[in-house]
Amino acid sequence: MTRSPSPAELAPIIAAVPTDESVLAALQRVTDSALAFMSEDDLLAELLARISEILGTDTAAILLLDESGELLRARAAKGIEEEVEQRVTIPVGKGFAGRIVAQRRAIVIDDIDKADIYNPILRQKGIRSMLGVPLVSEGRVLGVLHVGTLTPRRFTDEDRDLLQRAGDRAALAIDHAQLYFAERAARQQLEALQQVTDAALAYLSQEELLNELLDRISAILRSDTAAILMLEEGGRLLRARAAKGIEEEVEQRVAIPIGKGFAGRIAAESRAIVIEDVDHADIANPILREKGIRSMLGVPLLIEGRVLGVLHVGTLTPRHFTEEDRDLLQHAADRAALAIEHAQLSEQRRLAEALQRRLLPRRIAGIPGVEVATRYMPASDSLGGDWYDAFALGPGRIVLAVGDVVGHGLGAAAIMAQLRTALRAYAIDGHPPGEVVERVNRLMWQLGPTAMTTLAYLVVDPMGESIDLVTAGHPPPLVIGPDGEAGYLPLTGGVALGVTPTARYTAVPHALRLGSTVMLYTDGLVESRVQPIDTGLERLRGLASGSFDPEALCDAVTADLVPERPADDIAMIVARLPAVPERLTGTWPADKDVLGDVRMLLRRWLRARGASEEEAYDILVASQEACANAVEHAYGPGVRSFDLDARYEAGLVTVTVRDHGHWRPPRGTNRGRGLPMMEALMERVDVAHTDKGTVVVLERHLTRKAA
Amino acid sequence: MSWLARVVEAWQDDDVAVAAVEGEIDSSNVGEIAERVRAMVTNRSMALVVDLAETTYIDSAGINLLFTLGAELKDRQQRMLLVVAPGSGIARMLSITGLDAEVPTHPTREAALAAAG
Repeated sequence: MTRSPSPAELAPIIAAVPTDESVLAALQRVTDSALAFMSEDDLLAELLARISEILGTDTAAILLLDESGELLRARAAKGIEEEVEQRVTIPVGKGFAGRIVAQRRAIVIDDIDKADIYNPILRQKGIRSMLGVPLVSEGRVLGVLHVGTLTPRRFTDEDRDLLQRAGDRAALAIDHAQLYFAERAARQQLEALQQVTDAALAYLSQEELLNELLDRISAILRSDTAAILMLEEGGRLLRARAAKGIEEEVEQRVAIPIGKGFAGRIAAESRAIVIEDVDHADIANPILREKGIRSMLGVPLLIEGRVLGVLHVGTLTPRHFTEEDRDLLQHAADRAALAIEHAQLSEQRRLAEALQRRLLPRRIAGIPGVEVATRYMPASDSLGGDWYDAFALGPGRIVLAVGDVVGHGLGAAAIMAQLRTALRAYAIDGHPPGEVVERVNRLMWQLGPTAMTTLAYLVVDPMGESIDLVTAGHPPPLVIGPDGEAGYLPLTGGVALGVTPTARYTAVPHALRLGSTVMLYTDGLVESRVQPIDTGLERLRGLASGSFDPEALCDAVTADLVPERPADDIAMIVARLPAVPERLTGTWPADKDVLGDVRMLLRRWLRARGASEEEAYDILVASQEACANAVEHAYGPGVRSFDLDARYEAGLVTVTVRDHGHWRPPRGTNRGRGLPMMEALMERVDVAHTDKGTVVVLERHLTRKAA
Repeated sequence: MSWLARVVEAWQDDDVAVAAVEGEIDSSNVGEIAERVRAMVTNRSMALVVDLAETTYIDSAGINLLFTLGAELKDRQQRMLLVVAPGSGIARMLSITGLDAEVPTHPTREAALAAAG
């Protein structure tokens, strides 16, 4: 719509056709710029005031034709305000005003008593003489302007011409004002429509979103009720999801079959439907009638031609919904459908992401002697199925697993959850690696054709300095030796899990010397649309060469190989067996549960010093007894710690355990064997109790030199 | 049960219970192991065989448990037998603490069961 001139812009036009000086002055005063900000009602009142002043009349009135063109309706009056208040209507052709319009000419009534007057108010007010002219703009009759006097008056031709000129200008002003305000109303409607979906909606939950959409839509269409029904999964039922004015729909979880009733037909036929009279219409939902809804308009919620649901509005008084109303509601529905679709997708994605985040272990329950680092990077615009897990397995071993579940979203996340639980359960049950994978494979097969995953399953034994590897349709693990040289382990040849129930998986052992690092990853790291997997593998190998710190390796790989917006998600897990230090020192919480960890470190240290199995065992037991005493006897409840220091000099192992409490004497029978055991196992046992705690020094020579 | 050790249970003729402890026994898990093993012994049991062949570590807490179990069974006219690999660290601990003088030990489970029957 092109903008029409405002009344203020019309002022010069009106002023350009003067009749005499006083009229010109009066009109100029009336049509000043203040008029621009007036509503149509105020404009008409202002025009009447000016006109009756110019002509010196007691009354003045403007009647405008309605949409049908058959009725005149009093729109503004001065001196006979009852005309407007009583919403007087006059048929075209009837009475004084009706004849003016029908004959498109001015009519003068010198004596009202002798005239054909349709409107009783004129007589009741005591009007004696009248003059009226048609309001014509661009050849079109808009209505009637008439003036009257309470005393008899003979209106002259001059009066008639003056009123006609004033009427012409008024008609022009009214016509433009109507256009102007119609345009402004349309613009406001457009703005309201844009508000149907503004940025603020992005932060709402789906439920809040639907309710907000209904509020805005029923405000724009001035409806009493509004409701959104969404198509259920399966596509056969519409379910009320949000309602305004008919909240019972949602509370009672109203479901409408596709094709049935008002909403059902809108969805089935994918088109707008108007019901002028609810009482005589095919309505499936009794709530609509019970609430007293009289007229309804409904449109489909469409995304790319696909029906998502139905949006309908209703009124408690009969209403003729126009074509404009229908278009407006469809526009609103189109925007609402987009917002709903977006909210549904992002809600599903949020849910799946949250699930996946929970499935990936946040903190790896580490085991002594293995350093672990993990990373997970989601794809930039889709949800992937990559996962990893790491958990301690029996004394001193750790399982590392990485896989890529086929598919995306909630389904893949659910498969991942089952897979991870099953893998842990079978592994902790004590099954050997190949069998763990075979059992998981059979489970995946049973879960159905969509349950498939690749897998690299690795059991790391830091004491044995070895790993057991099973791969299933997964890229090869990378190993970095103590010398920094990186290379890939051979695949063990298994197919992806869930493909066939009879697949066999064999674990292949490899040595993993102290100081080595092993890395598992998913294909997103080495393969992309622009990079063949061989190139990716070579880049990763080059990058990992000479790398010794797991966290640093993850960072370097992320920085160099992961694009800013990865198309595929990426998971990686890196484990390193740190080299055994010359001297073992550390502080641990005084908690029984750390004894196993300390034992593991000490055992490896003793072996690295060249202790025989027997010597290592004896020293281990004695040291552990000292640690156990610190844990059990030194402290009351609370967080305390003990220190351990093991060193080897000139064939002599010295283990010092220091706590910061006071040993209680042993309690109960069958206690107090710790000290005698230490003394039996070591060459020297020195226990010193001081104010600052207890220090136990244990010494024993090794019979052979360090390896 | 912590991941340090697990107890594998077996019975022979209902009246001999065999508890095989695989893994490591220390003060962190000795309570759980004691509970599991005690639950295996009923009034009808003639004997309890504690199989330490797959035990890789035992400290004084574990030794204390074995002393206690032996005494409890003796009070109920039931017997306890141990299976220990000769020359192992476990065997040395039993020797150092004198447990092997209190409780009969056998090199294999078969030998222990034969002695129990």
